[in-house]
Amino acid sequence: MKRLLSVALGIVTSIAGFLEIGSITTATQAGADFHYQLVWAVLLGTICIALLVEMSGRFAAVSKHTIADAMRERFGLHFFMVPLVLVFFVSLLVLAAEIGGASIAIEFVTGASRVVWALPVGLLAWGLVWYGTFSIIENGVTLLGLITIAFLVAALQLGPNWHALGHGLVPTLPNKQPAHYWFIAVSILGASVSPYLFYFYSAGAIEEKWDATYLASNRVVAGLGMGFGGFLNIAVLVVSALVLAPRGISVEKYQQLPLLLTTPWGRLGLAIFAGALFVTCLGATTEIALALAYQVAQGFGWNWGEDVEPRKDARFSLMYTITLLLATLLVVIGLDPLKLTTLSMALTAASLPVSIVPFLVLMNDKSYLGEHTNGWLGNLSILLVSVLASVVAIVSIPLEIAGGS
Amino acid sequence: MRVRLIRDVLDNQLLDVADCYAGKVDGIVLELRPGEPTRVRYIEVGPITLLRRLNRRLGDWYARIDARLGKGRGVPIRIPISRVTLDSPSLRLDLAVEKLPVMALERWLEKHIVAKIPWS
Repeated sequence: MKRLLSVALGIVTSIAGFLEIGSITTATQAGADFHYQLVWAVLLGTICIALLVEMSGRFAAVSKHTIADAMRERFGLHFFMVPLVLVFFVSLLVLAAEIGGASIAIEFVTGASRVVWALPVGLLAWGLVWYGTFSIIENGVTLLGLITIAFLVAALQLGPNWHALGHGLVPTLPNKQPAHYWFIAVSILGASVSPYLFYFYSAGAIEEKWDATYLASNRVVAGLGMGFGGFLNIAVLVVSALVLAPRGISVEKYQQLPLLLTTPWGRLGLAIFAGALFVTCLGATTEIALALAYQVAQGFGWNWGEDVEPRKDARFSLMYTITLLLATLLVVIGLDPLKLTTLSMALTAASLPVSIVPFLVLMNDKSYLGEHTNGWLGNLSILLVSVLASVVAIVSIPLEIAGGS
Repeated sequence: MRVRLIRDVLDNQLLDVADCYAGKVDGIVLELRPGEPTRVRYIEVGPITLLRRLNRRLGDWYARIDARLGKGRGVPIRIPISRVTLDSPSLRLDLAVEKLPVMALERWLEKHIVAKIPWS
């Protein structure tokens, strides 16, 4: 019964934690500029992250190792430093985008600039991580993210064209702005397939003392949780296609984002949008800050643990403190949250092979996983998507920055 | 027992007698003996060895700063191999990590920074 409850809670938190500034922004841009044509990218990203999360949970449960720990052991210091540095800097930008997201949510409600709110948001996130426990963060903050179901309600109320939506599940070539189309497609993939998530998930499995008996529940949580989370992300795209696209609105400023819910629901919509954005971005902020500290602490063999008092793992605790401070400063100096978000999501996609290929090698190492190594289909699909996403991102980022289409 | 030094020892996790994390094996010290087989004498742990592996100058710079922090500091932390057993894929020490300078930075941060933050 206890296991069943934890599986249910895991599914709900995965659903609630799926949306954040990256997935909301990229899906909104996709719907506004290309109607339902990019639904396939959300679907593909969701399948990939469900597979990767299942793998990282399986790895931790069977080997009792976290991903970062094993990466250093298996590949040595020099190789380990490459994904460490790359994932750290790209995730730092994503972290800044999340803090920016939570800050603009308060700006929408209060009218006071996001720059003013960045520091209180950073401090709140730090307080949650410093004084809270893993379960408060995973089950408390993320659970509040269920407010994002509002997007599904809005999508159903507005009534999508199911036939066109079905067509969007199959990738097609765009008939306008090809560079922008592919840039948004890889940004969606970058927003879904975030490497910090599998560092976070494997550390969480060790914190919660998983063993091989958790493999079935891990599969259910990863599949259903991420699956339904992706469903909500498609709902955001649908609402955008129904609200922004017919009015010819292309998302160029973050102030346009609340239109998704204010158009159908007025002032109530603004409050719901701001609440959803704030809660999901705050949840993601705590998760990313912890994931980066996990990665460094586990790679260097330090004491670590969200459930350990900060004085017993001072290096780990100060690591997430510094990371949060740096990311908060990026928002305080006035970087535009929308540009920061789309760029960091595309950079995440560009760097995917560096973080995913060593991970896949570990997932095929019998000395860690015994009989639970990956199957060929999982390996091939993840490898193919990450390499393709990276190539497309490397080509489309300069074109998008140059404003070409 | 056959041990592969690079795969089974270097960069693997060290645990102390109480299962506390004691860092990773950052270096291995071998003794070359004329006419006899080479043998492993020590493992090295800590930032000086770690940074020297990445960049010699960076490691030397860190060692100079570390040397100011007390007697016996500024040199790599060496643990005799006789105190280490293989508990694959980790390695286990037969002593408490608190007795080694490995935790010096952790304790310094705890005392000078973490302790000053309320309710920590």
